[in-house]
Amino acid sequence: MKCPRCDSETIRKMVDAPVDNAWEVYVCDTCFYSWRSTEDPHVHAKFKLKPEDIPNLQVIPPVPPLEK
Amino acid sequence: MAKVYKDLREFLETLEAEGQLVRIKDEVLPEPDIASAGRAASNLKNGPAVLFEKVKGYKYSVVTNVHGSWPNHALMMGMPKDTPVKEQFMELNRRWDKYPVPPKVLSREEAPCKENVVDKDINLFEILPLYRINDQDGGFFISKASVVTADPDDPGNFDKMNVGTYRIQVKDKDRIGIQALAMHDIAVQLEKAERKNEKVPIAICIGNNPLVTFMASTPIGYSQNEYEFVGALQDGVPCEIVKADLCDHIYVPAGSEVVLEGYIEPRVREVEGPFGEFPGSYSGARNQCVVRITHITHRTNPIYESLYLGIPWTEIDYLMALNTSVPLYKQIKEGFPELVALNAMYMHGHVAIISTKCRYGGYGKGIAFRLLSTPHGMPYTKIVIVVDEFVDPFNLEQVMWALASRVKPDKDVAIIPNCPGMPLDPSSYPAGMHTKMIIDATTPVPPEPNPRAVELLEPPAKTAEYEEIIRNLLKQMQ
Repeated sequence: MKCPRCDSETIRKMVDAPVDNAWEVYVCDTCFYSWRSTEDPHVHAKFKLKPEDIPNLQVIPPVPPLEK
Repeated sequence: MAKVYKDLREFLETLEAEGQLVRIKDEVLPEPDIASAGRAASNLKNGPAVLFEKVKGYKYSVVTNVHGSWPNHALMMGMPKDTPVKEQFMELNRRWDKYPVPPKVLSREEAPCKENVVDKDINLFEILPLYRINDQDGGFFISKASVVTADPDDPGNFDKMNVGTYRIQVKDKDRIGIQALAMHDIAVQLEKAERKNEKVPIAICIGNNPLVTFMASTPIGYSQNEYEFVGALQDGVPCEIVKADLCDHIYVPAGSEVVLEGYIEPRVREVEGPFGEFPGSYSGARNQCVVRITHITHRTNPIYESLYLGIPWTEIDYLMALNTSVPLYKQIKEGFPELVALNAMYMHGHVAIISTKCRYGGYGKGIAFRLLSTPHGMPYTKIVIVVDEFVDPFNLEQVMWALASRVKPDKDVAIIPNCPGMPLDPSSYPAGMHTKMIIDATTPVPPEPNPRAVELLEPPAKTAEYEEIIRNLLKQMQ
């Protein structure tokens, strides 16, 4: 299984439904996109991510310098 | 004395009794039903709260659109549901002056939020019926929590304890992402802790007394405590709180449905978003903070309270409307008593309308500059319209009349480039920078010349009397 957003294969099942095994939720350990098995995830081209671009995303809030 | 609600449940009872809550009894899928109902309820005039009793795969119920109409907003304040917006604004102003009302601290045994404890094998999905709010969101978001943190350099200072609303993305059964923008109080606290590489203890409270949620989304001073304002807005009745389980200097609403406790991991950022945000568009993926949940307390059969946010107006707009207008009004009124009312209801104050009497020439522009220098107005407000004291800023037809009849654009419109902006506003570029615009639609007063001064039309003498007569005749026809 591939991540619908970043195409990584680092997918794992996050959780089963608490009742009746009605669904599962999956998450990508690279970009943290998650979806339920009852959904049909389709990520718009604008929101696709390349794993190599993740470190360059804006950091909010900026990490301050460590006090010595 | 206004009606006061101890918790969400009491408020839902009132909403139902007043015809402002509907129940969906059939089982639904989490997506797209819950978010669709939130959008639909806010599309309707005087839309109700919507309670889903059964959500497929989950144990508990979900309620949405609790704050999502002016009748619900009035009922939140214990006022009749048909109270006009300007009257609600004036009543909020009156109660605001009762601040501070110290909260009542309950013992752990007295607090309903402590009825059940989960401190191992944390699984948010066991407690909360989480769901996707907008189609392109990066995951399931918790959109309506009141998040409590303390000042790491002054942890025992109750005034500096912060209760705020921040967007939260569920990343695992016990791990969430949180957005702490630099302009928000939580970011001030986070920076102090991160400089020392310390964890930030946090309590995320879901399903609250409606005025707690209201104050958590109100921009007040860093050293002003939200719970003391809740007591003020409850017309002097103290807000009931209880100490968090894991942290001695964090207090949570005693009646919360669910309290998630844990800590912000210092100096860690991970991909968060996109998320459909209050400007009516998505904000993209960014590297943001991460919280580990290690302890949950909850009421028996907890109700998950969540909101839909979309192109305005949706429920979130009612939580950024009068509670944005009132603090700005108070801050300006302190120095400029001529101020009559202030409407900053549009996208959390991006557009604001000020009604004021003008003491001397140029006064309207001066008042606008004052708004633009308040802590909230500086980044958020970009368009300020100033109208005369006899124009109701909550009556947009009147405001348009003021623009139509008072504004001479070459002298009354001012553009100020390169000012602070709100990064989530898609017209802010670079994100966080913006241009300000002031439109002075007040009547010129000396020394500003007014070469074509006019006499305003007055309502005929018996207008008010006839309003009453016509209203009664209409009632008889129903």
